[in-house]
Amino acid sequence: MHQTWFQSTNARVAGAFAVAAGLQIVGTLLIPGYSAPFAIRALLVIASLLAVASIGQTLVVILGGIDLSIPFIIGFANVVAAQLYGGGWNFGLVCVIVGVLAMLIGALNGLISRGLDIHPLIVTLGGGMIVQGAVLLWTGGFPSGSAPQAVSAFVSIGGSVGPLPVPALVPCVAVLTLLVALVLARTPYGRRLYALGSNPGAAPLALIDPVRMWMVTYAASAFFAAAAGVLLLGFTGSAYGDVGQPYLFQTIAAVVVGGAALVGGRGNYFGTIAGVLVLTEINTLLIGLGFRPSTVQAALGLVIVLLVSLYGRERHVSATI
Amino acid sequence: MSGFRRMAQRWRGAGFATVLLVILIAVNLLLNPTRFHPSAWGALIGLAAPLIGAALASAPVILAGRGGIDISVGPLMGFVNAIVIQLLFLKLGMSSPLVIVPAALLIGAIVGAANGFLATIVRIQPIVATLGTYLILTGMTLTILPAPIGPAPGWLKAMAGPWSAVPLALIFLFWWLVRQTPYYDQLMAVGSDDRAAYTAGVPVTKVRFIAYVMTGILAACAGLMLTALIGSADPNIGPTYTLIAIAAVALGGVSLAGGRGGLAGAAIGAIDIFLLQSVLTAFNVSTYVLQIAYGVILVVAVIMTALQERLSGRKG
Repeated sequence: MHQTWFQSTNARVAGAFAVAAGLQIVGTLLIPGYSAPFAIRALLVIASLLAVASIGQTLVVILGGIDLSIPFIIGFANVVAAQLYGGGWNFGLVCVIVGVLAMLIGALNGLISRGLDIHPLIVTLGGGMIVQGAVLLWTGGFPSGSAPQAVSAFVSIGGSVGPLPVPALVPCVAVLTLLVALVLARTPYGRRLYALGSNPGAAPLALIDPVRMWMVTYAASAFFAAAAGVLLLGFTGSAYGDVGQPYLFQTIAAVVVGGAALVGGRGNYFGTIAGVLVLTEINTLLIGLGFRPSTVQAALGLVIVLLVSLYGRERHVSATI
Repeated sequence: MSGFRRMAQRWRGAGFATVLLVILIAVNLLLNPTRFHPSAWGALIGLAAPLIGAALASAPVILAGRGGIDISVGPLMGFVNAIVIQLLFLKLGMSSPLVIVPAALLIGAIVGAANGFLATIVRIQPIVATLGTYLILTGMTLTILPAPIGPAPGWLKAMAGPWSAVPLALIFLFWWLVRQTPYYDQLMAVGSDDRAAYTAGVPVTKVRFIAYVMTGILAACAGLMLTALIGSADPNIGPTYTLIAIAAVALGGVSLAGGRGGLAGAAIGAIDIFLLQSVLTAFNVSTYVLQIAYGVILVVAVIMTALQERLSGRKG
């Protein structure tokens, strides 16, 4: 089927970036200090945290799945890292342990979802609840400990790297974005991901092992969720098991606003970054205008629906025959 | 004999959930005879009703297929709860069921129609469209009702006590009537293969739209049952039902891919989850262990359902 540029994923991504830029201009006009250096820095840090948490959701959605365990893994990593580091462990070792455990949980999510053909919605939700319960049991509901100074400095809004007036997190996420985009566009893994997502029936005939792909991708999703959890520990200063909860729907919203289709096979990480910027801009703008959090939430819902109805529409059934 | 076979066919999807139901009832009876004594059934059904209602509400759009799902069911329950108590009962002083019930159902139908419009006519992916309504409804509920408030009218509270079976019976009567209409066959046809249904002349968009409206109306019923149970209005309870209701539907043998299963299965799945919570609570374990066990059994139960379907020779 012939597609014009306006219907392509690139157009959707460009559209989302344009919306984010437009919101920045609106904010600057309406709110004094909206484009002040500190405000921009805060916006970039908050967006970077969401961007890290959304990497996995992007990969999983391209594959045609969904991952509801992200908020639980974030909470898990957040609490376990603080608890172990507080117990005198070496922080490098703590990160390795948290990362490996998260990847095991993710791989199990992928194995059960694809291997047994059970909807990932249920599997990742159930798996997430088990992880959260286990963490609560371990800490008795009151996690202790904190992040090492280095992690706090890495994400601190007031931080800077060399000549750049932003904390190291922001350039690192920028590099990570390029890496993820490179992996998706230029590696066998990326090609398999798109192939399996767009046609789950045909991909195995091209010698793509679906179960293995699902395990690897869900493990990657859990790994980046864990990374977000550790970064959030540095950001907030203390451990909190529910710190990941806002990320449940925000990651999905970022991916979708960025132009990926939840049926799989479409989308890329630049789109997600655009989606992340749009969501962060809307949030900052509405709070800056003095709306209450409940109103901000309602407005966010409205904006998601509006944006997706502009460029995220699916085909009519008559066009799929 | 063919009647029996048809029955078997109808129940096969929910087979594991039914076995689990029998086991859980037996275990509950052993552990907690007083709570499960027939004289306590009214309160017991009232306690389970919001979850059963939420699961029943989630089913029609899932049956309609192609990623059909409504995650705004929980927030809609909370919204109905807030409107009924805060606006109708406390502000406007209206307590008659003849006002409250139609008003609640109308809200449900409107929200359902909005979801249906977004998902079938604007053609936004259902989970995204209903995520939008999820956020809008949660935000509106918190704006109307920043903190819990009570009480609820007496007749409504009775719906969680001696009369708790009435709303559920009415829902099943409604679904039984739907099953007698050609619409039901169209819904299942669209759910199993919308392209084939379209080429056979089924109005796919209309069928799906109606499924969303039904989900909205049933979610409003569930909202009333929730109001009856808590006897007040609470802005934070509704949304917690969303995901667990979908889990109940899946546990009850309703395929999340659409076209397979029914409301009876969804109800059994929800009752399973309720009885499971009841068993775990009876063991007096900490809420943390409860949550782990809950997650484990949910995943295991869904795995068993999938394996059983595979063994019975149907496509997974």
